Amino acid sequence: MAILKNFNLRDKGAEIWEGWNRSKRTTFVFAVVGVVILLPFAGDFSITSFLNTPTASYQAVLVYPVGMYILMALGLNIVVGKSGLLDLGYVAFFAIGAYSAAILGTRTNLNIWEILPIGMGLAMLSGVLLGLPTLRLRGDYLAIVTLGFGEIVRISAINVQSTGGPNGIGGVPNPPAVLGMKFDINNLKGFFWIVVVMILLVIWMIRRFTSRRPGRAWEAIRQDEDVAMLMGVPVLRYKIWSFSIGAAVGGAAGVIFASKSMFVAPDMFTFNVSVLILSCVVFGGMGNIWGVILGATILAYLPERIRFISTARQLVFGLALVIIMNVRPDGLLPRKKREKITAKGATK
Amino acid sequence: MNKNSKRVLGVVAAASLVLGVAATNAQAAKTITLVYQGPMTGPDGQTGTDEYYGVLTAIQIYKDSNPAVKVNIKSADDQGESANAGQIAPGIASDKSVVGIIGPAFSGPSVASFPSYKPAGIPMISPSATNPSLTDPKSPKNGFPFFHRVLATDVLQSDKLVTLATRGVASPKIYVVDDMSGYGNKTDGLGALVDAVIAKRKLTVVGSSSIAKGTMAQSTGAAGTIISKGANIVIYSGYYSDAGALIKALRDAGYKGVFASGDGTLSGDFIPAAGKAAAEDARITAPSLPFELAATPAQLAAFTKATGLKSPVGHTYLTEAFNATNIFLDCIKQGKTSRAGIQACISTGTFTGAAGTKISFTRYGEMPGGAPVGDFTIKNGAIVYNGAVK
Amino acid sequence: MNFSAVTGQFWSLLLAGVAIGFIYVLISLGYTMVYGVLRLINFANSEIFMVGTFASIIVSRTFFGYGDSSDTIHGFKLYYTLAACLVAAMLMSGVTAVLVELVAYRRLRAKGTNRLASLISAIGTSIVLSEGARILTQSRPLASPRLLNKFFVFNIGTVGFRIDIIIVIVFAAALFFAVDRFVNKTLLGKAIRAVSMSEDTSRLMGINLNRVISATFFIGGLMTGAAAFLYDLVFENTRFNIGFNLGLAAFTAAVLGGIGNLRGAFFGGITLGIIEVFAAAIFGAQWQAVTVFVVLVLVLLFKPNGLFGEAIQQSRV
Repeated sequence: MAILKNFNLRDKGAEIWEGWNRSKRTTFVFAVVGVVILLPFAGDFSITSFLNTPTASYQAVLVYPVGMYILMALGLNIVVGKSGLLDLGYVAFFAIGAYSAAILGTRTNLNIWEILPIGMGLAMLSGVLLGLPTLRLRGDYLAIVTLGFGEIVRISAINVQSTGGPNGIGGVPNPPAVLGMKFDINNLKGFFWIVVVMILLVIWMIRRFTSRRPGRAWEAIRQDEDVAMLMGVPVLRYKIWSFSIGAAVGGAAGVIFASKSMFVAPDMFTFNVSVLILSCVVFGGMGNIWGVILGATILAYLPERIRFISTARQLVFGLALVIIMNVRPDGLLPRKKREKITAKGATK
Repeated sequence: MNKNSKRVLGVVAAASLVLGVAATNAQAAKTITLVYQGPMTGPDGQTGTDEYYGVLTAIQIYKDSNPAVKVNIKSADDQGESANAGQIAPGIASDKSVVGIIGPAFSGPSVASFPSYKPAGIPMISPSATNPSLTDPKSPKNGFPFFHRVLATDVLQSDKLVTLATRGVASPKIYVVDDMSGYGNKTDGLGALVDAVIAKRKLTVVGSSSIAKGTMAQSTGAAGTIISKGANIVIYSGYYSDAGALIKALRDAGYKGVFASGDGTLSGDFIPAAGKAAAEDARITAPSLPFELAATPAQLAAFTKATGLKSPVGHTYLTEAFNATNIFLDCIKQGKTSRAGIQACISTGTFTGAAGTKISFTRYGEMPGGAPVGDFTIKNGAIVYNGAVK
Repeated sequence: MNFSAVTGQFWSLLLAGVAIGFIYVLISLGYTMVYGVLRLINFANSEIFMVGTFASIIVSRTFFGYGDSSDTIHGFKLYYTLAACLVAAMLMSGVTAVLVELVAYRRLRAKGTNRLASLISAIGTSIVLSEGARILTQSRPLASPRLLNKFFVFNIGTVGFRIDIIIVIVFAAALFFAVDRFVNKTLLGKAIRAVSMSEDTSRLMGINLNRVISATFFIGGLMTGAAAFLYDLVFENTRFNIGFNLGLAAFTAAVLGGIGNLRGAFFGGITLGIIEVFAAAIFGAQWQAVTVFVVLVLVLLFKPNGLFGEAIQQSRV
């Protein structure tokens, strides 16, 4: 029983990983990526068809919410999990990316691949602008300010003429084909693969950061801001970095989302989305990439999978959150034990 | 319960979930399916539930006639939100047995669904989406050529709404309130169209407010502002529950003038939301005909048989949902069982609605000459239909 | 922008702002008291409010049988009906709050894990409550019958004081001062304050932590329930998602006043109510929420602990 209680799949996994040599690791990574790449076809085979989602199209679900949530949860994980800043308005950056794609895509000749860096840049810029005054605040004050920012973006989208008001913007273009691979509503596989590539890039980026100066700075800030400052870490600068990198990832997800659904409207960017993404991070295991991915996969996929119980599905989702958090408060795959600050001290 | 048994329970629950759904997937045999898409749950769940009664009534009559082709009916819940519609539409489109969609019920979800339905070639007939851009060939939000609707657009409705609101008022001083929703807003919704009609007729506007849907009850200052401007006509462009809160606040604050509102307010729930006394004499337009007036006794009997409800009074857009479903069923009776066949049948045929009205569609899916816009008032705590607005 | 609206009816806007502000005060007590002892945002408080609004209306409709077309009532009957609705709302909210603590917080607190786990668990509880209400009510709004004949008691200049507005202000103020005295003067109140200063020390001093925390949730719930009753009295309508906007506003009010600080919540609530009403009059109701948040950000920039906040310990995520 005690073994079970202290069992940490993440640590176990890390142990196995560290025991492997380079070729074993490479083979494993390629195998996993290969399986993921084949996922869109799983719905068509009888053995794996249990993955199919009722009502919503399985391939559409793989792109949004599953792929998008993983991407955004990884982005938010930099902010919440790595640097310990509670952001309740992450949807704002997603919305900024999506609206950039919608406005630029319908009014200029730029294609989605050209808009992607612009959308990310705009999201990043807004992250910096929001971060400069507010990142000095601590804990719950930051939470409410970011929450407010999310609402401001959504309400502005409703009230401003150029964003099309409450009915949003239609006719957002699909991205042009890459290497003969088409992206449109009949080829959702393409979108999924693009999202997978973006997820891999983000994972690579986070892993690079974690083992270098910014990662250490974030870790220090998360554990104790005052001590970090005393030790000479430029706290505000690293907080803004973390905030705006997270924002850029959200913006990228937004651009792809707008171009996939070909339509954006303010009701796609409610507070609920922020809460869901945050839930993905905490549910899976804050600060741990694999946990976050697992959490996002489950929380995005589950409500779609149980659409057949239609009326009660959100209720079941809420229950699942409560039960899992009570049974595994550090998430399904928590971060390495040695990275954790002492349990008692963390309650305050 | 100890930890182990909890774990076992979890596994069992997960397994049964998976198996349960595997079973539902397997039953997708070769049948013709019609899908009703609208808000079955969520804040606007009532609208979808009401419309679905109309769909079920039409299907009931069809089934009772022992048809050659079996038609399966499914409801797809978009909760009245674009985000949800964008989720479920690709799934419906990829289901080969689906030959037509009754809906989408709301305008926003319609726009979000078009990218899936247009490439798939699924014909749609909406019983209640009134935003003009859906059939506007110049708008990027149109559903051409697959989208049709069996009711008048807000362009016509806004005109009739202003007519009804100003009827019998000597020197109108109008105050316009909208709800910032996809339906009522002042960018491209009913609110914008009402403003345009008022401007065209050179009527006096004393002010306007935009109060987000669902927050009217807390907008404590709204009624006072309206009265202080000396308005004698308030036109509300939004849904019933906020309309109820607004008229109640106005009457409480001593407002004696006219309260007029569009089809979003035409719901049995408007009167309890406003309170019986405050709702009295409210004027409502709607491009809809109450089913109890439109239907024949046989159709009313089918309604009771299909839904288990005694009377359709207070349920909205039943007639339109009934008509939309019947158009599909008529085409199926003519032997059209493919998406393309039904689409061709709808766009060229002429059909008979519940009230005996003839229904056909223009190239862009509109009824030629426009459907009638009804004039409703609240009398003694009930919605009274006074015929079409002249 | 419309400044003439403000000069023209400054006093009546002010009254409207103060009235809604008092309702915010009571709800924000639910947030601020829980924050005081646990250093956690009780995300489910908006749903605790929602439960209260339903309790009050159900009592008047089902138990007393008043319908939409009932006439208003007078005299003794009016008093005991209102009292029953009030008690029902307060008790239901109070009990719900205690249950929320048991389900969402207690186990996690005992484990001493990270704060975000509790936050997510509270969000889960909040989803369960509001979805449960949605399924039970089939998403329909529920209107309250008009029990009280709403007449203007007196006028000062052009400003009419309606009876329900007066009841809200007087009653909410009285409740607030009762809670304030309770926390400052009674033994249990002292225990609550002790826990909010240091959990560990107060446990060493022999305070039963679980009991004190339950009591805090219960009192916070009672106040939220009273707010729900007053809300029904004025606005006579509720639905399953009523808590979201009001809860957000009340939470903002709590932060504005300095979360964890009772008197801060009082001034925060009233300030927010006034700002909201004036912002709606000046910029248009569509920008109301935006204005509120901008003001909040400005306040936090210059007074980072809220208008009346005590310096909060660094709170880690």
